[in-house]
Amino acid sequence: MNGVLDLPSTHDEAWRWSDLSGLPALAGARPGGRAPTGELWIGCGGPRLLFIDGAYRPEESDPGPVTVGPAEAGAGDHPLGRLAGHQGWRLQLARDRGPAATIEIVHVATGGPAHVAAEIVMDEDAQASLVETFAGEGWHNVARKITLGRAARLGIARRVLGGGFASLTDTASLAAGASLDIATLAAGSGDSRLDTRLTLEGGGAYGEAGGALLARGAQRHDANAVLRHAAAGGTSRQLWRSVADDRATCAVAARVEVARDAQKTDAEQSLKGLLLARTATINAKPELEIFADDVKCAHGATVGELDRNALFYLASRGVPPVEAKALLTRAFVADALARIGDEAVRAAFLADAEAWLGA
Amino acid sequence: MSDGTTLSKDDAPELRDQAARDAADKAATYEWGFVSDLEQEFAPKGLNEDIVRFISAKKNEPAWMLEWRLKAFRMWQGMTAPDWAKLNVPPIDYQDAYYYAAPKQKPSLSSLDELDPEIRRTYEKLGIPIEEQKVLAGVEGARKVAVDAVFDSVSVATTFREELKKAGVIFLSISEAIREYPELVRKWLGKVVPIHDNYFATLNSAVFSDGTFVYVPEGVRCPMELSTYFRINAANTGQFERTLIVCDKGAYVSYLEGCTAPQRDENQLHAAVVELVALDDAEIKYSTVQNWYPGDAEGRGGIYNFVTKRALCQGRNSKVSWTQVETGSAVTWKYPSCVLAGENSVGEFYSVAVTNNHQQADTGTKMIHLGKGSRSTIVSKGISAGKSNNTYRGLVRVGPTAEGVRNFTQCDSLLLGDQCGAHTVPYIEVRNPSAQIEHEATTSKISDDQLFYAMSRGLDQEAAVALIVNGFAREVLQQLPMEFAVEAQKLLGISLEGSVG
Repeated sequence: MNGVLDLPSTHDEAWRWSDLSGLPALAGARPGGRAPTGELWIGCGGPRLLFIDGAYRPEESDPGPVTVGPAEAGAGDHPLGRLAGHQGWRLQLARDRGPAATIEIVHVATGGPAHVAAEIVMDEDAQASLVETFAGEGWHNVARKITLGRAARLGIARRVLGGGFASLTDTASLAAGASLDIATLAAGSGDSRLDTRLTLEGGGAYGEAGGALLARGAQRHDANAVLRHAAAGGTSRQLWRSVADDRATCAVAARVEVARDAQKTDAEQSLKGLLLARTATINAKPELEIFADDVKCAHGATVGELDRNALFYLASRGVPPVEAKALLTRAFVADALARIGDEAVRAAFLADAEAWLGA
Repeated sequence: MSDGTTLSKDDAPELRDQAARDAADKAATYEWGFVSDLEQEFAPKGLNEDIVRFISAKKNEPAWMLEWRLKAFRMWQGMTAPDWAKLNVPPIDYQDAYYYAAPKQKPSLSSLDELDPEIRRTYEKLGIPIEEQKVLAGVEGARKVAVDAVFDSVSVATTFREELKKAGVIFLSISEAIREYPELVRKWLGKVVPIHDNYFATLNSAVFSDGTFVYVPEGVRCPMELSTYFRINAANTGQFERTLIVCDKGAYVSYLEGCTAPQRDENQLHAAVVELVALDDAEIKYSTVQNWYPGDAEGRGGIYNFVTKRALCQGRNSKVSWTQVETGSAVTWKYPSCVLAGENSVGEFYSVAVTNNHQQADTGTKMIHLGKGSRSTIVSKGISAGKSNNTYRGLVRVGPTAEGVRNFTQCDSLLLGDQCGAHTVPYIEVRNPSAQIEHEATTSKISDDQLFYAMSRGLDQEAAVALIVNGFAREVLQQLPMEFAVEAQKLLGISLEGSVG
C-alpha cells in the first residue's frame, strides 16, 4: 500500500502490470475550471450529459431518463473504484423500456481528480446503448454498477481521449438471457486502468468485454477483465487488441471463470498485441478457471509485429510499405471496435483510432 | 465404475455395489505404498542451525559448503512461503520433521553387494534396474541406463560408474561430488537457482541431504541414459535433494528421474532443487515421471511436492528439453523453467499432469528469452478427475535485446467428471517487436461418442478412458525415452482408475 491514497503495489497479483505512481499528484492537483467540449459530442440525437471535473453541468445536458445525484457504484473494496464516491448518475429503465437513441455522456477533467459514481438498473427486456467520452487532463475515476434483468440488453462504448489517468471500474450482473457488451478505446495521451467484472448469473446470458488499447511515449494501459459464468448455457467473448510504440506498455489480463453449475458455457478470448518499437512492452494473461466439464473454452494470444506475409502480399499488389503498414495496423485495431452497434459511434471511434495512428 | 464385466440392470444391487467398492479400493491402492523395514539413522527432529551443521558434518563437507548452507538457512528464516498458486496447503510445521534420515550403512559403498539387502528388495519391488546385470541381461544392444538411487536422504548406489568414467562423464551423488570435485560443484551450484530464489529453494539450499551431480565434458555424448530414483521411506522425513547437471560445449545427456514414497496418513514434504547448465551447442534432455504418494481417496496423507527446477541455456545453440509426467503428490508446485540466454538457444517443455481424488497441482513453466533467435515450445496437457484441481501456470518473457524470438504454447485441459477444476494461467510479457508469440488453449471432456465408439470395439470403460487419455497426452508421451514411455502410459491409466463412470 502506498501512503495517503492507499494504493496497491505491483506485488499485488491483480496490479502487477500497473503503475499508479502518478495518481497521488493528480489527486492533489487543483482543477483549472472550464474546458472546450464542443467537438467531444458525437451527436447521437439522444439524451446527453456533461460532467466537468466530476460535477454535472445541467446547462449543457439533456438527461432524459438519466437521473443525476446519489448512485450506488458497487465497487466494494476495489482500491480505485471505492474512491469514486456515491455521487454521479443513475439510469433505471422499467420493463420493455429504452431510450430511442444512444445516451451520450462526456466527462472532462481540467487538471485534477474527477470522481463519478454510476448505476444502471434495467428491468426485463429493457434496452439501452450508451457512449462515454473521457477527455481533458486529470484523473477520471468512475465506478459503475450494472444490473440487467431478464433478457435486458445494454451496449456500452467508451473512449479515453485525454491525458493524465483514467480508472474505469465496472461491476455487472446479468440475469437469464441478458446481454451486455462493453467496448473500450484508449486513444489518448494518458494512462489507464480498466477493471471490468461481468457475472452471468442467469442461464443463457451473453457478456462481452474488449477493446483497443493504443499507447506511445511512456503511456501505460492496463486492462483487467473477469467474465464469470455462474449459470449454465452462457456465452462470453473477450477481444482485445493492443498497440504499443516507443517506451509504452499495454497489459491485458482477461479471465474466464466457469462455476461448477455453469455447464454448456461457451467462452472465447482473443488477446493480440502489436509492438511498433523495440522499447515497447506488451503483456498478456489470458486466464481460464474452469470447474464444469461440459464447456467450450478457448483462448488465443499472440504478440509480435505485423504479419510479414500480409505485408509482402500488399507490396506485391503495389501498395507502398508505409501505407501497407498503416492499412494492416488499422485493420488490427478495427477488429476490436467492430462490435459497436451504433454506426455513428463506431465511425467516431474508428476516426479517433485513425487519428491516433496517423499522429 | 465397472471392472470390465458387464452388469445388466437386473443384477442384484449387492453385486453392483460390490463392483463399485472393488473399483474404489483399487483406485485407492497405491502400488508403491509399502514401507521397508530398515534401520535408519535420524538427525534429531526439527530445524535449526545445529541441524544444518549436523547434516554438513555427516557429509564431511568443506567449510565453504557449510557457510553456504548457513547463509541460506538464515535467509530462509526471514522468508514467507509463496501463496500465489491456486493451491490450498495447510500450514506446514517445519519443526515437526526429520531433516536427515539415512539407512544405517556407510553411505559410500565399494560394491553393490554391500548394499543393504532390504534396500535392494525395495528397489526390486519398485522395478528399478539397479543391478547392472539385469540391464545387461537384456537383448544384445539394448540401451543401458546408469542409475543413482536416493533413499530418504542419502544416495545409496550409483551404477555403471566405471563405464561412464571412461567416457569422461562424472555421475555421482552430490555429496561425493562436493568432496571429489569441489571446484566444479562450487562453480555451478546455486548459479541457476540462487539460494535466495524462493522459500522452498532456500530451505533446500540449507538442508539438502543428497542428490545427483552430472558433468558431461566437451564434445561427449553420454553413452547411456542417466537415471535417478528417489524414494522417501522413513516417516516424518522431508526429502530435499539437489541435482546439478552441467553439459559442456557440444555435449549431450539424457537424464531420467523417478520418485515414489510409502503410503502414510500424514503429509510429507519434498522440496528439491534441480539446476541444469548447457554451454555452447550442448543439449540436455530431462525427463521426470513423478509418482509420489498422492494421498488416499479422501485426501489424507500424500507428499507435498514443492520443487524448483531451472535450466540455464548459457551457450549458443544450446538446448534443454523438460518432459514431465506428473501423476503423484497430494500437492504439486513445480515450474521447470529455461533461461534462454544463449544465441539461438532452445527451450522445450512437455508436460502431462494428472490429478485425481483431492490432489492439487499448480505446474507449468517459464521461458525467459534473453538471447537472439532463441526459441521455445510449450505443450501442456492437464487431466483433472475426482475432486482435484489442476492448474497450468506459465510465463513467456522476451527481453528487449532478444531479436527474432519464437514461442509456441499449447495447453489443453481434459476434465473427467464435474467435481474437478482445470485452470490455465499463462503470462506473456514481450519487449521486442520481432518476437512471435502464440498461445492456444482448449478445455474439453471425453465425449460420450468417443467412449461409445471405443467400447463398441470391445474395450471396457476403464480401458477406453485410458486409451483416450493416452491419445490426449500423446504429444508429450512420445517425447519420453522408451524406458519411461511404457511406465508413464501405465501410470496414467492407474491414476485415473475409478474416475469415470
